[in-house]
Amino acid sequence: MASITAYSAYLPRLRLPRAAIAEAWGQEARSGEIAVANYDEDAFTMAIEAAQHCLESSTARVDGFFFASTSAPYREKQLAAFAATVCDLPRLARTADFAGSARAGLAALVAAVQAVDSGANRGVLVAAGEARVAEPESEIEGLLGDGAAALMVGADGGVAQVTDAASVAEEFTYLWRTEDSVFVRAFPGKFSQSYGYARDMTEAIRVLLERNGLSPTQVWKFVLHAPEPRAAVEVAKRVGFDERNQLLLPPAAQVGSIGAADPFFGLAQALEQASAGQWIIVAAFGEGADAVLLRTTEQVERQRPTRRVQDWVNARLPLPSYAKYLKYHRVLPREESGEAITNILEFKELKQDVRLYGSRCTACGTVQYPLARVCIRCKAREQLEEVKLARRGTVFSFTVDHLIANVEHPLPMVVLDLDGGGRLYLQVTDFCEEEVQIGAPMVLTYRRLHEGGGNYNYFWKARPPR
Amino acid sequence: MRDTVAVIGVGCTKFGDLFEQSYEDLICDAAFSAYADANIDPAEIQAAYLGTYLPGPAGGKAAVSLADALRLYDRPITRVENYCATGTDAFRNACLAIASGTYDIVLVLGAEKLKDRPGRGLPRLGHPLIAKGNSAPGLFALAANRYMHTFGVGRDVLAKVAVKNHYNGARNPKAHLRMEITEQRVLEAPIIAWPFGLFDCCPTTDGAAAAILCKRELAPRFRKDFILVKGFGMAVTSGRPYFDPTFDYLGFRSTQQAAQQAYAMAGVQPSDIDFAEVHDCFTWTELSNMEDLGFCRKGEAPGWVREGRTRIDGDLPINPSGGLKSFGHPIGASGVRMIYECVTQLRGECGERQVRSPELGLAHNVGGPGAVSCVVILGLP
Repeated sequence: MASITAYSAYLPRLRLPRAAIAEAWGQEARSGEIAVANYDEDAFTMAIEAAQHCLESSTARVDGFFFASTSAPYREKQLAAFAATVCDLPRLARTADFAGSARAGLAALVAAVQAVDSGANRGVLVAAGEARVAEPESEIEGLLGDGAAALMVGADGGVAQVTDAASVAEEFTYLWRTEDSVFVRAFPGKFSQSYGYARDMTEAIRVLLERNGLSPTQVWKFVLHAPEPRAAVEVAKRVGFDERNQLLLPPAAQVGSIGAADPFFGLAQALEQASAGQWIIVAAFGEGADAVLLRTTEQVERQRPTRRVQDWVNARLPLPSYAKYLKYHRVLPREESGEAITNILEFKELKQDVRLYGSRCTACGTVQYPLARVCIRCKAREQLEEVKLARRGTVFSFTVDHLIANVEHPLPMVVLDLDGGGRLYLQVTDFCEEEVQIGAPMVLTYRRLHEGGGNYNYFWKARPPR
Repeated sequence: MRDTVAVIGVGCTKFGDLFEQSYEDLICDAAFSAYADANIDPAEIQAAYLGTYLPGPAGGKAAVSLADALRLYDRPITRVENYCATGTDAFRNACLAIASGTYDIVLVLGAEKLKDRPGRGLPRLGHPLIAKGNSAPGLFALAANRYMHTFGVGRDVLAKVAVKNHYNGARNPKAHLRMEITEQRVLEAPIIAWPFGLFDCCPTTDGAAAAILCKRELAPRFRKDFILVKGFGMAVTSGRPYFDPTFDYLGFRSTQQAAQQAYAMAGVQPSDIDFAEVHDCFTWTELSNMEDLGFCRKGEAPGWVREGRTRIDGDLPINPSGGLKSFGHPIGASGVRMIYECVTQLRGECGERQVRSPELGLAHNVGGPGAVSCVVILGLP
């Protein structure tokens, strides 16, 4: 039976205080904040961050990648395959993008479970990312946050078995975004919460309970995605479980609701503290509902993630500027210079630029980048082999450039000596200036480098570890 | 090679934001001054070398932008482009052309019109992804930060270099930035790329400079006080030093190698040099150059600067012209402008900024964060 073999979350570092939104519109002050993507982040790059953490924490073979998002940066371009390339998965992989509503994450999870249970795949990475923008001055502005989370699904040995899934599907207008709009719109409030959300969620959860002969009290945690957090309480009442002890909501108050990634965030929080043999139901809403039943294994207590959801929540950097938030999310128009990478160059350099391989000299051992045919140290010819570079390193030198044409200033650049060899020269992102120093540790992150030529041109950057 | 090539004439435009002049105007002004200085009919010029990084809008990337501006047709012209070493490398090629015996009289001309271009005159070229975000100050700053970290040097030492070069440039009528500055003003200026503030950076400049070379035997026909090419050297290292795991970022191997070649050809030691025009694109670069050229050991240049040894009245005047910092930096012209300064210093024509009775001067370019370096040593017969 398919099980979750690894799980991880990723939150952008920046936080927009809800008070900044309220101040911009002259509204009554609100508490809390939302996690907001940096100017070079999107649903795709954040999903890669989460996926990379999963891959680092597991040695399981992965031959599939599913990407789920309602706010993918491309309408045409399969991002699951792109993400699989960035994560250096093999070419023979099953990939698919899931979209539409916050149910996309669980839909991808169920598809991954079925792929593994059927024997078609050995392991599937499921990553959900969101970078949604609510309609300015609307009631839901300040409710939506950005972030990503990922789960790895394998045949056995996981922390929780996925035992059953149930779905309800029927049109109900609550949240939507038309093809020509950057803004999510909504009919928020009591009617949508009761007649849409609570009705569909309750029905899907009841099916699971009945089919598996479980009473609500036997379930340790109900992990519920909720566009408006208070709506989940009604589900607890209708299903008949204790909202104080059994209801687990993603950290929406501190970071906002993260759409398709919400169920994974909540599930990660549950698994972080679960004991063996506990039942968990995770459910999400959107023109119906999906509910998934899991049972933890003994492995859940042995395999805690190195970074918990709360660590990501705590690793914050305030962005107390509504104007910058609008700029970072492309609500305000901006022009960027630069040429798009051509598909010819991208094809030729895919292993070097995307999979991030360098050359290792078999004569003297020097690891070097970009790929080379003559060793930079010992000058050996045709004795270099391709080697995957580490995604972390130490700053050898740096500058903080205030003049360079970039969306944000200043722009630090670092010369980074990678763990295991190789030296890169990269832009730095998600930083405080005092973190950019000789000897400072950095991790690599795949970001939008620039938007020249009408495309998002992604490349690696360095960021301080969180 | 030593003493086989003579410089019989030099010319240089005023450097600056020359908004009213074209690329062709600059070429003509520099060339006509050099013709007059050598007292030569341009018909006698057998070949020419054009040093330019970004040629004029009408000229394409070939040598035609020199030919058309001067109507210098029906003879060989080669365009040299080698980052910031473009000017001295064009000069080096002209020397080789004469030394080979192929030509007797050759024109070298460096010209750059940066201010007519977008992007502060420096459009970014290169890979759409790799190393994007680099800038000239940012690249040299990588080295400066490593150097300052290693040797415990503060920004005040960099500021002293700027103060000295502005002092010299204020005494140079052709210089771009002709004002003296204080150390405090340097330190308080806006940061461009840490640790470089505005006054740690050379300006982007329009300008052109020219030199006319001939084989030594012909030189007396043009003027008595000709100057001889004593030696030159050039070396190229990685154009992507930021990917080179063997690079210590404390100085530039290209300059060290080019200098050794030049000293060997000239048969002199660094201590024999009376003054030097070095590539101070940023204040830190001048410190590194002094060490890489062998004037002092690694880490000693800050001490020399603190003691004022590199002032015009010091024991080794560095950049009496004001350097790139104050004279300005029209990329392809800079190296030829250094030749102009060396020649006029050796002829004793530099007025207020004149170095006391020099016999040997050195010109040095380094470009593409240490990737290409060229050194020329000039002296009295």
